[in-house]
Amino acid sequence: MANAHSAAPAGREFNPWPAVIFIVLVCLAVLFLAPTAGVLLSSVKTTREIALGDLWSFPTRLYLGNFIEVLNKPAVHQYLINTLMVTVPATAASIALGVLAGYVFAKLPFRGSEALFLVIVAGMFFPPQVILIPLYRLFNAVGLIDTLYPVILIHIAMGMPICTLLMRNFFATVPNALREAAILEGASEWQVLTRVALPLSLPALAVLATLQFTWIWNDFLWPLIFTQSDEKRTIMLGIVNLKGQYSVAWGIQGALSLVASLPTLIVFLFFQRYFIKGMTMGAVKG
Amino acid sequence: MERETGVWRLVFLALPLGVFTVLVIWPLASSFYYSFTNWNGFSDNFEFVGFSNFNKLWTDKLFFNAAVNTAIWMVAAVLIPTLLGLGLALLIDSRIPGGPVFKSIFYFPICLSAVVVGQIWIWIYQPDWGLLNVAIGAVTGSSPDFAWLAKPDTALGSVIAAWAWQHTGLAMVIYLAGLTSIPEDLLEVCEIEGASTWQRLRVVIIPLLTPATVVVVALNVINSLKGFEILYIMTGGGPFNSSDTLAMHMYNESFKKYLMGYGSAISVVLFIVALTIIGIYFRELKKVDEIYG
Repeated sequence: MANAHSAAPAGREFNPWPAVIFIVLVCLAVLFLAPTAGVLLSSVKTTREIALGDLWSFPTRLYLGNFIEVLNKPAVHQYLINTLMVTVPATAASIALGVLAGYVFAKLPFRGSEALFLVIVAGMFFPPQVILIPLYRLFNAVGLIDTLYPVILIHIAMGMPICTLLMRNFFATVPNALREAAILEGASEWQVLTRVALPLSLPALAVLATLQFTWIWNDFLWPLIFTQSDEKRTIMLGIVNLKGQYSVAWGIQGALSLVASLPTLIVFLFFQRYFIKGMTMGAVKG
Repeated sequence: MERETGVWRLVFLALPLGVFTVLVIWPLASSFYYSFTNWNGFSDNFEFVGFSNFNKLWTDKLFFNAAVNTAIWMVAAVLIPTLLGLGLALLIDSRIPGGPVFKSIFYFPICLSAVVVGQIWIWIYQPDWGLLNVAIGAVTGSSPDFAWLAKPDTALGSVIAAWAWQHTGLAMVIYLAGLTSIPEDLLEVCEIEGASTWQRLRVVIIPLLTPATVVVVALNVINSLKGFEILYIMTGGGPFNSSDTLAMHMYNESFKKYLMGYGSAISVVLFIVALTIIGIYFRELKKVDEIYG
């Protein structure tokens, strides 16, 4: 520990607090990790072992059958492909729309643009249930129910507010003089955006990419409403589906949960910095 | 020049505003419209029924039950992660070795989906081999088989615990960011003046964390209002509607019973609740901005 050298010079009291706090934090950390440990442990055990009440003990041998079974299921492949087909375009498109709108609100304000901006940002706060029924009717009318399109479209629209907010705040920090200089050189507004403003805003784009990817990948509600057949379901619905099929195959459920969480876990591990930034940036200034 | 700028504004805003209008603004307005009809979700023939959907809210015992549960859910889902997050942030901020590691451990559940978090906690509460019963058994020496999620008394509380587990880290990182902005010399003055830890906390640190608290509370309110998925997965609103919330009730009435008109009326109520909370939030945010710059 950091205080190991402070063999308490005479006269100064020994301070026990750092040690106490450290121990408290270790206990809390163990408590916090315990739930996740359950999934990890179950995924490497057989159903028999778990049913015998042996879920929470350390595995004596590594059983990989659950992972092999999950990864060999064609349905799981389909779920993962569907999820990617929703997540990647919706992430990219919502950021693109946020860049366009954010640029106007930051650099080309007009009368009423502040109010318009607030209306868009307010979209971030509403529970999605508020727009569920009309959207269901809309997509039903155009025959898109049970396809991935409504899920992609709605994620673009629902992601736009946070993307617009962050991009506007970021573009506001790009000096106006840069834009004016470029315009005087004969650059168009589009060139200012793509050649000047965007290259400077890579950190903001990284923040949005991590946030949007995680949220869309993890989403459950929209695919629940807009898709019906198993071939169109995303991975999160797939977990719930398989739960019905293998009601007591806890090991398989654990393995599948882990496989489904891997992409967002990887994003989290490598881009944690951006994650935290996005969560705090998005909320601080309205 | 000015005219050219106007054209660019239009070009840049056309697509974002178009998408937002069609997929957010228009459906929002339509929800109000459908709340005055008896649409069943399939048929093109439906009638205007005036305020009868809203009148039904007053007599619907399940609606009242869901409203009470939503209030309980929101208060708990805001208070618990906020207080735990503040506590963790203060502990981690006290120059402890391994701070970043602790931070990651407490924060990582935020990247898991509601489905996976629900799954994890269903196992914790599993009657036969769930961690909670195993732990209680280990302490008391008995072997309890209490079904936490299947009992009306404990279902909602059990889901709240799972929710708090996932959202504490978010409050913690925002508080940690807030703590770094507290001037070092202010804390030194405390030490010189001989203030106790509690005094320092109560008089200096917590008041200076007000902007962070506003953000944490607002985020938790927003998230908890949207907290539908984890309830859907862990309890489905049951048993006996004991964990039914407004969002859950709206889903059941609309997509299980196909009473889309009535479901729209519930969503209008939900919208008004959200709007009120957002209004309060923006007003408070302004106050905080004025005081703390």
